[in-house]
Amino acid sequence: MNVDIKEYLPLLIPLIIVQLLLLGYTIYHILKHDKYKRGNRAIWLVVAIIGMEFIGPIIYFIFGKEDD
Amino acid sequence: MNVLEVKELKKSFGSKKVLDGVSFDVPENCVFGFIGRNGAGKTTTMRAVLGLLKADGGEINVCGEKVSYGCTPKGGCIGFLPDVPEFYGYMNAVEYLTLCGEISGMDRKKLKARISELLELVGLDKEKHRIKGYSRGMKQRLGIVQALINRPKLLICDEPTSALDPVGRKDILDIISAAKEYTSVVFSTHILSDVERVCSKVAFLEGGKTAFFGSLEDIRALRSDTALELTLVCPNDIEKVAAAFPEGKETDGRFILPKASEKDCAELMAFLSAKMIPIKRLERHEADLEDLFLEVIGK
Amino acid sequence: MTGFTALLKKEIREIVRTKRLFILLGIFVLFGIMNPAIAKLTPNFIEFMSEDFAEQGIYIGTIKVTALDSWSQFVKNMPMGLIVLLIMFSGIYTSEYSKGTLIPFLTKGLSRDSVVLSKFLVMLMTWSIGIWLCFGITFFYSDFYWDNHVVKELVFAAFCWWLFGVFMISCIVFFSSFAGSGIQVMLGTGAVYFIMPIIGMYSKAKKYLPVSLTDSISLYKGELKPDDYFGAMIITALLSLLFVLTALPLTHRRQL
Repeated sequence: MNVDIKEYLPLLIPLIIVQLLLLGYTIYHILKHDKYKRGNRAIWLVVAIIGMEFIGPIIYFIFGKEDD
Repeated sequence: MNVLEVKELKKSFGSKKVLDGVSFDVPENCVFGFIGRNGAGKTTTMRAVLGLLKADGGEINVCGEKVSYGCTPKGGCIGFLPDVPEFYGYMNAVEYLTLCGEISGMDRKKLKARISELLELVGLDKEKHRIKGYSRGMKQRLGIVQALINRPKLLICDEPTSALDPVGRKDILDIISAAKEYTSVVFSTHILSDVERVCSKVAFLEGGKTAFFGSLEDIRALRSDTALELTLVCPNDIEKVAAAFPEGKETDGRFILPKASEKDCAELMAFLSAKMIPIKRLERHEADLEDLFLEVIGK
Repeated sequence: MTGFTALLKKEIREIVRTKRLFILLGIFVLFGIMNPAIAKLTPNFIEFMSEDFAEQGIYIGTIKVTALDSWSQFVKNMPMGLIVLLIMFSGIYTSEYSKGTLIPFLTKGLSRDSVVLSKFLVMLMTWSIGIWLCFGITFFYSDFYWDNHVVKELVFAAFCWWLFGVFMISCIVFFSSFAGSGIQVMLGTGAVYFIMPIIGMYSKAKKYLPVSLTDSISLYKGELKPDDYFGAMIITALLSLLFVLTALPLTHRRQL
């Protein structure tokens, strides 16, 4: 597989940036709050990191985040 | 002119009759106590007045305008403080009140002044945090401000003091008394001392009916008699006292002389000192709201 | 009217402060980038797997990726975006009704129509920004790597998706006018979403069902013309309008 990585950079860089933003914000949110709708901090950290692409953060914000 | 008139209000939930002919009216600049046990139908009545609940029968007039279900009286006539006020946790007090003011169509400049005036009154002016972190008492105070923001002619508070500590209760009652200057207040409660503190008129709700309706003076006139309660050092002496004052009776080791005049009181004291009977306590009982309440509900 | 604009501002502030807008737009941006990325990576992936296939006797020739592959991903990911939208907004009405946060406003003379319509408008705005953001990013990358001209009716197909999303949002408005919780709204809207293709399988009305708007591939390949979609578009628009308009009197009768 001799792929020219340069060809993919325009795609990969924004993709990684958006994912890291989403993941970073999710982890920040999990750490900043003590109370969740259900589950605890460890579970949500694992979910957010394992389901990295976007599913983990979504699951957290829908099912874990406490309502304001 | 009466700000609020409720006539023969009826409402049942399923087969359960909650309101069965509730009638009362509230004049201008009056604090009106709406008293009843838990589940007597206080909240139901208030929701019907606000047009949030469809009544089965009867008539409600607010500021001379008939209330019907689904449409609240126009012109910002009523301010309402729910028993557990709920706000948007992501706003702070000023943002929330601005929203309330805009919804009632207030002028921007006036609104700003009104908000800072009211927040200062309830002591929330230094609070810059979002409502999310508010305590129960703070929410109650913000709830009152929200209800008063557009200077309504009628302020309805559903159990505003029930869940608060004594200091919080006093604050809320003070705010309600202050609001009397420009509005009539109806507040429901089962805490009778609160009613005695601020109300000028009351209605008792029992069995879905208004069991009593009148001013606080009416109540006092109804039960003007005072009782004397005597506790002696030596319980055996009670018999001697009872023999001298046959209209009195003994209960729980105490001697009670009902419907005692000032003269009866003096005579009792003279008797005690003449016979050298040592006493622990002698007390004059004013008939209070609680007695009347118990009498009214037939307990 | 003053009540409506004040409430609209409140709704916008709500989705910004509760981070719903941020998350939704993030996801649509992510989809926008992923559509071409997956198309771009497919040949490498297949090449990588081809050794395994060769052992099983399957030989794969070189695959040429075009913009159509990228847009096929767009069509595949859109239902995902709609589902996220549905989950995010399913409780937008019912949570306020059950908490009683609207009662102070209603007693100040706010009409219930304003409540229904302001929330509808906010959902519409979020969805519109989301889908066109996603479209724009996919469009840019597809043109960068390949040539968008081989794919037909791109904008029209996306517009059909947008209209279908509007229909889903009207479903949320409709079910929220009588449902007790966000879960019920989600189930109701989900049921509409999944029942439509089933009806389509057995009936001749398929062409006019809102769900037929989501068949973008036929448009891309030129098998169907925009004219073939007009029936479904009109039906979808009318149904959406009907749902929102019936939600108004239903909300008036609702016990709050």
